[in-house]
Amino acid sequence: MNDVKILVVDDEENIRFLFKEELEEEGYSVEIAANGHEAIKKAKMTKYDVIVMDIKMPGMDGIQALNEIKNFNKEQMVILCSAYGEFKQDFTSWISDAYVVKSADTSELKQTIKNMLSARY
Amino acid sequence: MNPVEFLGNIIEVSHSNLEIPARINAILNIISHKMDFNEVIVFTSDKDKRLTCKYKNQKSILFNILNKYRCHIGEGVIGSVAQKRMPQYFNDKDVPLRFGCLFYSEVDNQMAKYKIFAFIPLLDDSYMYGVLVLCSRNRHVLTDAEKILLSIVSREIGGVLRTNDLLLSSKKRISELATLSELGKVLTSNLELQVLLKDIAIIIARALNALFITIKIDNTLFAVGPRKYTYGDVYPQIEHYVNDLEQKAVEGKKTVSLVNHLHDENDISIKHTLHSTPIISKNKVLGTITICERTPQRDYMFEQNEGYLINNFASYITNGLENTLLNIKLKDVVRELNSAQKRIIEQEKFKCLGEMTANIAHEIRNPLVVIGGFAKRLAKKLNMDQIESKYVDIITNEVSRLESILSDVLNYVKDAPVPFESCYINDCIDEVLYLFTTDTAWNNTQILKDYDNNLPPVVCDIQQIKQVLINIIINANEAMDGGGTITIKTETTEEANGRQYVIVSIADSGGGIDPFDINNIFNPFFTTKERGVGLGLAISNKIILNHGGKIELENVVGKGAKFFIYLPVKTIKNGEVFI
Repeated sequence: MNDVKILVVDDEENIRFLFKEELEEEGYSVEIAANGHEAIKKAKMTKYDVIVMDIKMPGMDGIQALNEIKNFNKEQMVILCSAYGEFKQDFTSWISDAYVVKSADTSELKQTIKNMLSARY
Repeated sequence: MNPVEFLGNIIEVSHSNLEIPARINAILNIISHKMDFNEVIVFTSDKDKRLTCKYKNQKSILFNILNKYRCHIGEGVIGSVAQKRMPQYFNDKDVPLRFGCLFYSEVDNQMAKYKIFAFIPLLDDSYMYGVLVLCSRNRHVLTDAEKILLSIVSREIGGVLRTNDLLLSSKKRISELATLSELGKVLTSNLELQVLLKDIAIIIARALNALFITIKIDNTLFAVGPRKYTYGDVYPQIEHYVNDLEQKAVEGKKTVSLVNHLHDENDISIKHTLHSTPIISKNKVLGTITICERTPQRDYMFEQNEGYLINNFASYITNGLENTLLNIKLKDVVRELNSAQKRIIEQEKFKCLGEMTANIAHEIRNPLVVIGGFAKRLAKKLNMDQIESKYVDIITNEVSRLESILSDVLNYVKDAPVPFESCYINDCIDEVLYLFTTDTAWNNTQILKDYDNNLPPVVCDIQQIKQVLINIIINANEAMDGGGTITIKTETTEEANGRQYVIVSIADSGGGIDPFDINNIFNPFFTTKERGVGLGLAISNKIILNHGGKIELENVVGKGAKFFIYLPVKTIKNGEVFI
């Protein structure tokens, strides 16, 4: 499973740390980015299987970053993961492949990633 | 008899403080006593040009017979004296059989008892007030001097009658003015309409001594709806007469009266006289006033007066009433404005509070995720005994409880999703097209509109639907690359599933879509444009699907593309959407 690469994008260091640990425990190789710009830069250099993207971030927000990434690689799978549940109603978020509300219980996030990967293979 | 003393007595009485009828009766008694006439009777001339037997000396016998009938001017001896304004004297030989009207058979029986008769007109300088009738059983001749004396006395009685008339009419006028002043007071006070109508009704009813009075206001101009106030009791039997009369008054824009002259004693309407008058302002009828009075039996003086008075009152209250109605309307508008303002302020407050709460909730959520997340990791990593893992469980449970509280709070305060509203799609299209009017990219584009003007409204998120229209119309224009015709048509259709749809079709003359691309056009990020993200049609499709509709494409290569947007016809009732 080490060949599955995941990019966690979040401006909060502790969240990045938590998600990295939790997802690594699942056997994925996890990289992190602190904002939209960094995420785009990394996504251009490395091919990730899944990007977990926070929405509200300083500089470039997650939805802008999502649109940019999809623009140069529309196959890129992106999960929006935010404390903001209401972004589900914004149709600009509809192009993401999934939407998970951020929670201390990471099982929903893990399950979503699993579903995406198994759908792909 | 001393004529000077006689005249002195009469003048003394006529100038006394006695009530007018008492004065006349006293004068008649003096004449009877001093000149030895058994009958001294006064017929008065009424407004309807008829004569009524009204005053008499104490011992009169004929009065009770004569006063049963009224006679016309010119009719019989009394009528002809009144008409010619000349006295006539007779003795028992030459007196005509007809005193007044035709039905004096009872008088005829009495005639033989009297020896002389005198009929003297009661004149003022120009006006005839009635006729003085004198009969004597004992006397045989009337001297010229006595005739002169009687003519002087008749002048005096005429004068008293004139005073009576003036007194009555000034009393009437004073009470009328008092009523008008009372009405004025009520009209300038700031009363509610219903109270105002009640007060007006009571004042007029009292002034006219009416059995009942109904004031009706019905004018859409003031948006008050029909209002009615009735003072007194309307007998059910005459209610339809009242309604008829009101209608006639409104239609004819003038006072109408109903005096029933039928002789059917069972018909209650005989005993009542109705007058209805319209309240007119600037040639518009605001309502009606209708009064009912007892049909007068005896006093013919004022029979036609009430109609005139009520008309007067109506025109007097018009302006005041109109002001009150305007005032009421103004108050309503102000009240509405105030409550609208309050609502807006409340909404603003709530919105601010919501934004603040949402921000705080978000700020709390991230640290919570971290606390809960790492507590779980701790539990996994450490080899904890039962009690320690219970502690961690408590932390994680409490965190998840807090998370769910935050979700509830956010759900509650977040902006409500845009409510679907009823919209006419033709208007929606026109508003979108208006956006392009100043755009130079549209200079060579002709837009043809073919709207069905009887479209039912569709229930939708108007902003989203506009977004779809903008996307498709801009695509059409870009496909024509510098000029052509866009045809926009609206119509309704019923699909096989029995549901009704409004269809908007947008056709361009841009040569159509490459058949190779047809299957991809609704996919995200598919674009044939150099500068395009490829989301327009994907998003449009998703919006229309969310509305329970669909987008279809008819493509003729070499000619153009035609998009059909189907929107289901729904209705909103009490805020809920029905299909």
